[in-house]
Amino acid sequence: MSGIHIDDVSRQFGDFTALEEVQLQVREGEFFSLLGPSGCGKTTLLNLIAGFLDPTRGRIMIGGKDVTGLPPYRRGLGIVFQDYALFPHLSVFDNVAYGLRIRKQPKKEIKRRVEEMLALVQLSSMADRRPHQLSGGQRQRVAIARALAIEPSVLLLDEPLSNLDAKLRKAMQTELRTIQRRTGVTTVLVTHDQEEALSLSDRIGILGHGRLQQVGTPLEVYRRPANRFVADFIGQVNLIQTAVAAERSTGRNRHAAIDYEIAAGVPLLLETTGSAEGSGLYMIRPERIKIALTAGNSGEANRAPGVISHVGYAGDQVRLHVQLAGKGELQVVASDPLFPVLPSAGDRCELYWDAEDVIALPPEGV
Amino acid sequence: MLLLSRRKGCRVVARNTVVRRTLSFYWLMLSPALLFLLAFLVVPFIMLIVLSFREVDSLLNVLPSYSLKNYTEIFTSASYLTTIRSTLGVAALTTVIVIIAAYPAAYLLVRTGSKGLRTFFYILLISPLLTSVVIRTFAWIVIMAQNGLLNEALLKLHLIDKPLSLLWSMKAVVIAYVQVMLPFAVLPIATSMGEIQPKLRQASMSLGAGRIRTFFKVTFPLTLPGLLSGAAIVFSLAAGSYITPLLVGGRLQPLLPLSIYQQAVQVFNMPFAAALSMTLLVLVAIVVGLISWISKRWEARLHD
Amino acid sequence: MTETTSHSQRSGTGKPRRRRKFSALTALIWIAGIIVYLFLISPILVIILSAFSPTEYPTFPPSSFSVRWFTAVFQNSDWWEALRVSLILLAIVTPLTVLLGTAAAYGLGRLKFRGREAIQSLMLSPLMIPQVVLGIALLYEFTSLGIINSLTGLVIGHMVVAFPYVVRVVSVSVIGLDPKLESASMSLGAGRWSTFRRVTLPLIKPGMIAGTVFSIVESFGEVSVSLFVSSPGNITIPVRIFSYIDQTFDPSVNAISVMFIAFAVIALIIIDKTVGLTKVM
Repeated sequence: MSGIHIDDVSRQFGDFTALEEVQLQVREGEFFSLLGPSGCGKTTLLNLIAGFLDPTRGRIMIGGKDVTGLPPYRRGLGIVFQDYALFPHLSVFDNVAYGLRIRKQPKKEIKRRVEEMLALVQLSSMADRRPHQLSGGQRQRVAIARALAIEPSVLLLDEPLSNLDAKLRKAMQTELRTIQRRTGVTTVLVTHDQEEALSLSDRIGILGHGRLQQVGTPLEVYRRPANRFVADFIGQVNLIQTAVAAERSTGRNRHAAIDYEIAAGVPLLLETTGSAEGSGLYMIRPERIKIALTAGNSGEANRAPGVISHVGYAGDQVRLHVQLAGKGELQVVASDPLFPVLPSAGDRCELYWDAEDVIALPPEGV
Repeated sequence: MLLLSRRKGCRVVARNTVVRRTLSFYWLMLSPALLFLLAFLVVPFIMLIVLSFREVDSLLNVLPSYSLKNYTEIFTSASYLTTIRSTLGVAALTTVIVIIAAYPAAYLLVRTGSKGLRTFFYILLISPLLTSVVIRTFAWIVIMAQNGLLNEALLKLHLIDKPLSLLWSMKAVVIAYVQVMLPFAVLPIATSMGEIQPKLRQASMSLGAGRIRTFFKVTFPLTLPGLLSGAAIVFSLAAGSYITPLLVGGRLQPLLPLSIYQQAVQVFNMPFAAALSMTLLVLVAIVVGLISWISKRWEARLHD
Repeated sequence: MTETTSHSQRSGTGKPRRRRKFSALTALIWIAGIIVYLFLISPILVIILSAFSPTEYPTFPPSSFSVRWFTAVFQNSDWWEALRVSLILLAIVTPLTVLLGTAAAYGLGRLKFRGREAIQSLMLSPLMIPQVVLGIALLYEFTSLGIINSLTGLVIGHMVVAFPYVVRVVSVSVIGLDPKLESASMSLGAGRWSTFRRVTLPLIKPGMIAGTVFSIVESFGEVSVSLFVSSPGNITIPVRIFSYIDQTFDPSVNAISVMFIAFAVIALIIIDKTVGLTKVM
């Protein structure tokens, strides 16, 4: 029983509302990420869970127990800080043993537990070193071992990988996930790095402007963003603001033709499941748009001729801006092997996509 | 049961308990010092201010009446006005000499390539601060006395025929002041000098300014904050010390701290000593306030 | 210096005239600087010279070596009595000031509130207030309280003078201490005091040691305030030196001074080893 229940929590700093009416349930054993741009309130939420701050309104339950107002040292959480916050005056062993000594555990038990933790993070040979003698990645692992040593009900990770270089970060991501699976501890990761959140988490909560914008699996938040903020924040997106022009049904799906001329007289088509139509805001991911440099592909319902206005080569993929024959410009991401010869600006092309890849977003200002 | 009651307790606890607990811990740490300073710094000063408005009878007993008599006496007597003028003059002179001498000293400290040499300069700078004022002053007596080291050396070198009388003069006071107060100016100037990027001076010189022009156009303006904070300390110390002028200048030098000492310890006119103290304090506060105002204005200009 | 090197590297052997002009100015600044440092150290050199000189006034170069002034000090019971008072004072003043100053520096360093600057200025103000004024204020207050001429008054006076030094030095350590370390400790189950004892104290220890040294140095050499609040029964070494200089010329003061200087050198070494000389001022 160690899930977290954040019940209608708000937090104000003077006149500034950092968090507003956050309602969130982190399930036991889950790897949950709080994702958002800087200043979105995710650090405030972490501090509220950890007990470094109290909510202005609402309550926080951990493992079914109300911990609102409890100081951090009575919450029994493990926290890994952004810059690790290892005690510089203590050895690796003493850092990991710190929480156990506070709990006045027997010496033998402390030694056993610390060795177990150091083995878990593969640092058994470093027990006698001081933090300043370790590399960034090693410090990171000591911080994890220290937090896990006290058998916390919940593990909180505050941007734990942001100080590592790109390669090490990838390796540590895998290791974090492995350690979490092995220990089964409920984990909350705070990050601004969407790739990190998408690849590590069971579920993601996206925070923006002090509100929880969407909670869902990585697949859900990427493919079915709940609103414009989420769509814009995660991944690249083409946003289209318009009005619904016509509707038609084909088989089990209803198709709505919207008033976005992709070519003279040809409206954009999308698949809807109902509620969002009439809102006027639609999105399509650049990698969902297919591109052909030669005309004549058939069978696609949505097809739009255009002219390439910008080509950006990024190795594994090619980013293109295409000026449509109708109105508007779409971003397209294509994988590198698609082009035997790289197209250049000014080339004519044809774009096509599945109607179901055009997604309706709820109207603004909700 | 226990769990239940604890949970209940938590719910009752007011909001922001965590923050309040943290803050109260810090206040708990701070408060003994605040009480101490209140009792032995703030209260005695308030008492001194009150005392300065008291009158005395012919036997120098403090009367219960209040008046501005002490202050009128200070500001209408020619001798006290002279004393105020020379106190400010000596402090200003000391400050100017110290600042001028501080630049080459700071330059050496910042530009020396060797770490050992820098440590050595630091030791020379800090050592006057670690030796008691009486000892430093005594050394100046040994140096400047009629049959002291300096006169003896000058006589031996046949530079003078008879010993110079250096001691018991304002000159002696200023010399001793400069020595003890140099570190207070060198350290902040060196700090701001160290923060100047070498590129700035290189840029100035690449634009055709010579080294001297570069100093006045780049180095000096950028070290001005350090200079001013050093000047404030030096001025207040030079205006307020009494041990050094007493021992190397003599009791009769027209300096406010000496007058205060005499009124309190020899004349036993405490209200008048208090009024002189307040005069000194206000004068020093005005000058220091002026210096920090200039400093703030200058920094604001630098960062606009 | 840097400009000269890069210049000569670029132009090879050419334009030596410009280089010479640079070094002449540099040499001038160095000479001026060295004179200033010599001036700074000269009183200390003179004291050492005089202490080992057989004559009342030192000669240069010294005629011969003698320790007669040291012997004179050790045979004079006045100095022993003054040393006793100074040491008793140190034993009381130092721990109290360090405790008070450390707690204050820590509390102030962690608090953010309106008026914080004012309190900080108040704490450091004994450094700037004319000492004669501080002496008179305390003299008057202690007379009213009836603790004038007592050891208590002397202890308080010394604490007021030494306190800002401790606050300033410990503050450097507090600023360098990441509050996240305390958060980490609390997240691991340690309460406020436990965290202070296990994390904060060990990490600000260098500052506290330097603060202790400064407090000792200030208290041991203090004379300006002591002169006002001490009585014939409580004469410290610096006050004794003061009255010796004021009344007569006694060369044994040189010997005492040398001991003070040796003491200062030890203090310097401790400060350098704990917080580093460059950080404290």
